[in-house]
Amino acid sequence: MIKIGIPRALLYYQYYPMWQTFFEELGAEVVVSPPTTRLMLLNGSSRLVADTCLPVKVFVGHVLSLVGKCDYILIPAIRSVKSKIYNCSKFLGLPDMTRAVVPESPPILDIEIDVNQGKRSLYQAIYKLGRCFTWNPFKVRRAAIAAWQAHLNYLELMTSHRLPPPQAIEKIAGVAEAERRTHSSQPASTQATIALIGHPYLLYDEHINHRLIHRLEQAHNKVLTPEMLTAEELQSATARVVGRAYWTYEGEVVGVGEHYLRSGADGVIGIMVFGCGPDSVMMDMVKRQAARLRATPFMSITLEEHTAEAGIVTRLEAFLDMIDRRKRRQSKVYA
Amino acid sequence: MRVGMPHMGNIYIPFKALFQRLNIDFVIPPVSNQRTLSLGVKYSPEGLCIPFKLTLGNLIEAAELGADTLLMPGGYGICRLGYYAKTQEQILHDLGYNVEMIQVGVSEKKLFGILEMIKHLSNNAPWSKIISAFRFGLTKLNALDKVERVVQKVRARERIKGTANHLFAKAVKAIDRADDYDTLKKVQTEYIDQLNQVAKFTQAQPLLVGIIGEFYVVLEPFSNLDIENELGKLGVEVRRRLFISEWTKFSLFLNPLGVNETDRIHKAALPYLKRDIGGDGWESVGEKVLHAKEYDGLVHLAPFTCMPEIIAQNIMPKTKEVIPVLTILCDEQLAKPGTLTRLEAFVDLLERKRRSKDRQQRVLV
Repeated sequence: MIKIGIPRALLYYQYYPMWQTFFEELGAEVVVSPPTTRLMLLNGSSRLVADTCLPVKVFVGHVLSLVGKCDYILIPAIRSVKSKIYNCSKFLGLPDMTRAVVPESPPILDIEIDVNQGKRSLYQAIYKLGRCFTWNPFKVRRAAIAAWQAHLNYLELMTSHRLPPPQAIEKIAGVAEAERRTHSSQPASTQATIALIGHPYLLYDEHINHRLIHRLEQAHNKVLTPEMLTAEELQSATARVVGRAYWTYEGEVVGVGEHYLRSGADGVIGIMVFGCGPDSVMMDMVKRQAARLRATPFMSITLEEHTAEAGIVTRLEAFLDMIDRRKRRQSKVYA
Repeated sequence: MRVGMPHMGNIYIPFKALFQRLNIDFVIPPVSNQRTLSLGVKYSPEGLCIPFKLTLGNLIEAAELGADTLLMPGGYGICRLGYYAKTQEQILHDLGYNVEMIQVGVSEKKLFGILEMIKHLSNNAPWSKIISAFRFGLTKLNALDKVERVVQKVRARERIKGTANHLFAKAVKAIDRADDYDTLKKVQTEYIDQLNQVAKFTQAQPLLVGIIGEFYVVLEPFSNLDIENELGKLGVEVRRRLFISEWTKFSLFLNPLGVNETDRIHKAALPYLKRDIGGDGWESVGEKVLHAKEYDGLVHLAPFTCMPEIIAQNIMPKTKEVIPVLTILCDEQLAKPGTLTRLEAFVDLLERKRRSKDRQQRVLV
């Protein structure tokens, strides 16, 4: 059986169930790289120029860990998934860049997804991908429809059950999480509700963010994440701040930020990486919005390879202390 | 209404001519300088690139001089540039400047969009007047770039260093002053003649270095420490594809007709990079492949944290066509002595390479 490798990085958190269904319908086996480790990051960053952003270094590390374990690696170039809204250059150059820096990698399946080119070219791209496995266009069509259904189920699972992507993927596709934790044992009294904003590949990669969600939950906080909002909520919130979205994943940052800054959270934490092009402008939009609204405390954490765990923990503690003090003062005023 | 816009090389001169003919009040902020950079860096989000910071500095300085309508390029499907006008407008408003930003779509609206914007700015001047003014602006732009091409050649060969620069500065002033087509033509030929008559070393063929990279840092001398001039001082002839006049010619007039100067470059890049990644990343890879035989070396200019150029930088060392490339990342930390040392070392390397090539050829003959 043909083995398809999928790196557990970048768009994995958005599209994995869809990709898995597609390939399994076509009779291939899917191999996912293990959760990020320090070694993977080191391997990845040794191949790239220094100022490449952290998630891409992690991505190349995952590709390296898949070398020899699969026959093909899936690295799509996703230009645009919504009309006139584009993706960061790094996503577009990803297949070619990986080919250049990992010459030993198995053949890369790169398809270009750009909905601005019209439906026809989208279907052609999907068929081109399916051609690696079968000549039968109907079989590809069936696989694509099943994949789309899997994607919808996945989204539905995340919004209706309020599950973060790693758990939703575990439930749907059976890929185990990095570390088994007991999420269900929410403490009876939560200290505060903290909303996290940022891309899924930062929020759910525990190596990149130094187990941020885990730390917040340990301190008895309720954590809100971007997927808990519906697409409509995101869109209307984004529209309030910047009008028409410019980046594909603008909702995850600007929209979610705006939504939680106005209501529903005691504090908002923005996660971004150093050198991220879109985030450098989007996080700034959220920062400005927070300063304008003056409703909810906002902190932004910039991550990179050298970010020390102790520094993050200290900042997190200070932020939580501040929220705690603020809540106590407010309850005194109203009491 | 007072119109202001950021600097990029000498682009203010054609715009000044255009706006003057249409009686639009045009404010020219001081040419990018240390203060511009400090202002830009102070009020920008830290992770942004030098083009954003410098243009923000320009816009603040224009607003200080009373500009209330600011022009800024933008558009969809290109790097962060499409987001700049939005962010800069918020920053300017937060600073208390009551300005209106006009985003000039460079990618989708093309010629007609720009003409319509000019019409809006000029309070509905008749189309005939707009087009004649636009044509005059273009002629000035062409004249500037024609003289600059000659300057690039003379700089490397002149006996007394600095003569070409001196003449170029005078030519720019004269072109700026020229008020009709005849004077412009006269100024252009006069200065090109003068430049050609400068005393030159003629024995050796100077090293040929191509400048590739991101549009803004290639074209704004302040952002790249006037690297062309420094290379010229070292006796190196500089070539570059990017000229504003060329870019205007193609993107405004010829591209809609299906003629594209970059097709050749994209084709060369195809084995290594299959698609446009925004900005000038595709072109950087393609030009490296294309010029590998032709030039002695390449200087690759990119702003720090520029997304397309990072991709290009990762791919470029892996091409089969080999040529020495010096990548210089431009940001507010770029300092002259360090850069000069790197340039000197690079030029030394190229000279050694050429000498060894000559020796090999002699042996073969």
